[in-house]
Amino acid sequence: MLLQLKNVSKWVQSGGQKTFLLKDINFWVNEGDFISIMGPSGSGKSTLLNVIGMLDGFNEGEYTFLDESVHSLKEKHRSNLYKQYIGFVFQSYHLIDELTVKENLEMPLLYKKYGSSERKSLVGDMLDRFNIVGKKDLFPSQLSGGQQQLVGIARALIASPKLILADEPTGNLNSKQGEEIMETFTQLNKEGVTIIQVTHSEKNMAYGSRVINLLDGNLV
Amino acid sequence: MFKHYIKIAYRNLVKNRMLSLVNLLGLTLGLASIMTLVFVVHAYYNANGFIQEEENLYYLKTFTTTGHSYNETTYPLLDKIKSSCPDVVAGTHLIGWNQPWLSYKDINLQERRTSYADPDFFEVFTLPLKYGDADKALKNKYDVVLTDEVSTKFFGDKNPIGEKLIFNDTLSLKIAGVLEPVSSYSSLRLGVLLTTQLLEDNPSFKEHSGWKSTFTSNTIRLRAGADVQKFEAQVMNLVRQNYADPSNVEKIKVEPYSKIRVDNIPIAGIIIKGAIATIIFVLLIVLVNLINLNTSVMYSRTKQLAVKKILGDNKKSIVFQFCLENGLLVLVSLFISSIAFVLLLLPQINETFGGNFGKIAIELPKDYPVILYFLGLGVFITLVVGALPTFRFVALPISVALKGKLNSIRKNLFFRNAFIIMQFSLAILFICTAIILNYQINFMKEAPLGYSQDNISIAKINLDYKDEKAAESKFSQILDQLKANPFVQSFSTTQMVPSAYNRSYNNFVDPETGKEVRIRYGHTDASYFKTLDIPLISGRNFRDQNEAIENGTIVINSSAMRALGWTNLDNKRLNNKGETSEGFKVIGVTEDFHYQGMQSSIEPLAHFYGGKQKLKYNNYLMLKIVKGKEKQVFQQLEADFAQIQSKRVLEYELLSDKTNAQYDILKGILKTVNFVAFFTILISCLGMFGLISLMAKKRVKEIGVRKVLGASIVKILILLSKEFIVLVGIASCIAIPIAWWLMSSWLQSFAYRIDIQWWMMVLGGALALLIVSVTVGIQSFKSAVVNPVKSLRAE
Repeated sequence: MLLQLKNVSKWVQSGGQKTFLLKDINFWVNEGDFISIMGPSGSGKSTLLNVIGMLDGFNEGEYTFLDESVHSLKEKHRSNLYKQYIGFVFQSYHLIDELTVKENLEMPLLYKKYGSSERKSLVGDMLDRFNIVGKKDLFPSQLSGGQQQLVGIARALIASPKLILADEPTGNLNSKQGEEIMETFTQLNKEGVTIIQVTHSEKNMAYGSRVINLLDGNLV
Repeated sequence: MFKHYIKIAYRNLVKNRMLSLVNLLGLTLGLASIMTLVFVVHAYYNANGFIQEEENLYYLKTFTTTGHSYNETTYPLLDKIKSSCPDVVAGTHLIGWNQPWLSYKDINLQERRTSYADPDFFEVFTLPLKYGDADKALKNKYDVVLTDEVSTKFFGDKNPIGEKLIFNDTLSLKIAGVLEPVSSYSSLRLGVLLTTQLLEDNPSFKEHSGWKSTFTSNTIRLRAGADVQKFEAQVMNLVRQNYADPSNVEKIKVEPYSKIRVDNIPIAGIIIKGAIATIIFVLLIVLVNLINLNTSVMYSRTKQLAVKKILGDNKKSIVFQFCLENGLLVLVSLFISSIAFVLLLLPQINETFGGNFGKIAIELPKDYPVILYFLGLGVFITLVVGALPTFRFVALPISVALKGKLNSIRKNLFFRNAFIIMQFSLAILFICTAIILNYQINFMKEAPLGYSQDNISIAKINLDYKDEKAAESKFSQILDQLKANPFVQSFSTTQMVPSAYNRSYNNFVDPETGKEVRIRYGHTDASYFKTLDIPLISGRNFRDQNEAIENGTIVINSSAMRALGWTNLDNKRLNNKGETSEGFKVIGVTEDFHYQGMQSSIEPLAHFYGGKQKLKYNNYLMLKIVKGKEKQVFQQLEADFAQIQSKRVLEYELLSDKTNAQYDILKGILKTVNFVAFFTILISCLGMFGLISLMAKKRVKEIGVRKVLGASIVKILILLSKEFIVLVGIASCIAIPIAWWLMSSWLQSFAYRIDIQWWMMVLGGALALLIVSVTVGIQSFKSAVVNPVKSLRAE
């Protein structure tokens, strides 16, 4: 088992009342899963993903990731944990505008203190794998949405994480680009990467092996 | 990793080209000004650095019973002190008695800065010598010490020790030393140093060097730890025992030497204090501005920073990156501003204040600490403006930052507003200062002088003639020609002209009432008042017809008349205090006129009859010439004077130029204040520009919605700028009372001053408000006209 959530709740206080964002979530993920989180707007999909990605905390419950109890970890350990094992893919790509494709890919490696030659070969591999060698010196603004998302995925993958969290990865793309991205995810999943995606679309949901439905912060 | 940071920093600076330029401009202007001012302050405080143990140095200051004070005493006092006070290590006079001509081979020079000093000189002022031995120099009566500058004029680069200089074509002096250059901000203004022993041979000096006349400055080195009060009492005892008239002296104070510069030129103290205050203010403004701008940049980069954090960046490296970006900016700006400082501002400062305070230059071996200050300043600025704005952002939860939700960082508006208020308070303070100073200077320049300086030219006629008799006869020919010249309406030979009266005072007594008044006096001729159009209230002018009777007659001004308590001139006489002769007949009273700058009040003044028009003791030839013919008249005069053998040549100028020069320092201060006011408002507006664009960015959606709901562009303009204009309003409320208080206390030092009007203050505030409104307006207009479809879609 990769991770497990036990009775996780998250709420905000508004006007003296608790408004639940997540309520009593119980949920586990095995290695090699491809999970789709579904639900209408405001049902807590993104919040759940942020909690899993350790970008956000929660108020109650237990969260175990690779036998570590995340809820009792210090901020610093927690960020080390996600930096090492989790890759993020965002709806609006979140590439760094000031850096070229190559430099964007190199970035996570820099933080993990890889040597220069190692970085070069890893970046080269990624560029090859996603067929974007020709774009390596372009800036994000010079790419189409689909290409930017490919770079986003490549960046998430480059430090070989165990888990990829994708928040509506095709939300900003047209249907053809979207299909290509989903194909890529399927391919990655076959290669053994665990994937959790948040999505609206039934079509994308079908790529996953398991579906979790959320409504108003509850699992249904 | 580092390379990576540099790359991002560089690309960010280039991407925000406009903002970077604005930042660079403000920072460079600020730094260049700070550098210049720091250097001036540094030069001022280090100018006396050659004096070892300056804390043991003192000077004597006389306070008279009539309420005046001088930094001088009688001549023999110092020797008495030296021989009777055990605490005195050394002491020297420094007397600028005359300016003898010195010659070497065929080089003849008269040095303005000639002083006579005692053999102890080098023990008091431990000046470094370039050539010669300080233990021996000035010990011999015929020794002379030159500054490097003067020595170069005579001998070039050669070591002149042992060479002879001829003193006034008679005596032979031996060069005993050459001084290393001393900063011109030093209290010592030296050119040629001669010995007091030599001066004691001068007959007119002998006449004054008794226990009567107070005219010599004294600098004394005391034993470390000496009791100054006890010493002061000893000095006072010597005064009582020896002075011809000790009742004149209230007391003699022993003042620490470090005070002498401010004592001699009070405005120097104001300038230096002002400079220090300005350094702090400018630094504050620059810092606040950068912090504000950086904060606004931070907002637009929250997303980027969040992504970096997710990818593994930590807080430290984010702060580091910001510092690096700002460091680059500061470095470039330090570089540009040091060029501006050396090539532009320093020469400007020297030009503005050099005439009164001397010029300063950078000398690396002495001034290297300044460079260290600047580097330190750069690091300081980088750390403050790089680190401060980042702290709030790194503390933000990633999931919030990632959405780029700017609204969540709204809390610290208090600080931002305080910053803006502070910045604009300073700007308004400077503007008000500039406005008031402008009016004061204009007032002084335009106020009625009590005489007419139109079309009046003056020429100096004490040219050190080689044959005085021949000169006098040629001069009387010249005067005859002037009388015949149709372009010359009137002329006068006189010892003094307005703005150049000697500092000669005397205590005169009215023999009838016994009333004693201290009156400034000078000698002039019969046409002086006519040439200057100075009206006589009563009595008559001098008459040339009967010179013998006119000698010893006085024309006083109406201040003197008031001080003497007279209502008419019937049989009025004045006598020197303590003399029983029949004294001087007072024959006329003039209207008061401003014979010195408006900083000083009109004191009682007496004009003595100086005899018929001739060269003799007169310093000036003053001419009233038909407008436009000055050149023609002086061409003739120059040609005539060229026929008289003299050491100097005739020079002339307009009286109005000479009187205007009285305000040179003030004009320099005004120029500086104007400059500072200009760029504080500029920098503040640059900062405002950044802030308002950030505000608009934060409220882009709100603006869109409002427009969809029907708000007009004007409404949105008001919405965006209201807040800032209120802040500037608050700043005015803070700045105006301070400016009022500051300026009215400074104006107290002017005898004739403007009243500060309420509208000057309002003008200052309004000016700031106007500039801000324009800045804010332009920037808000840009966001107000954006099509709401666009701005709403972006969400």
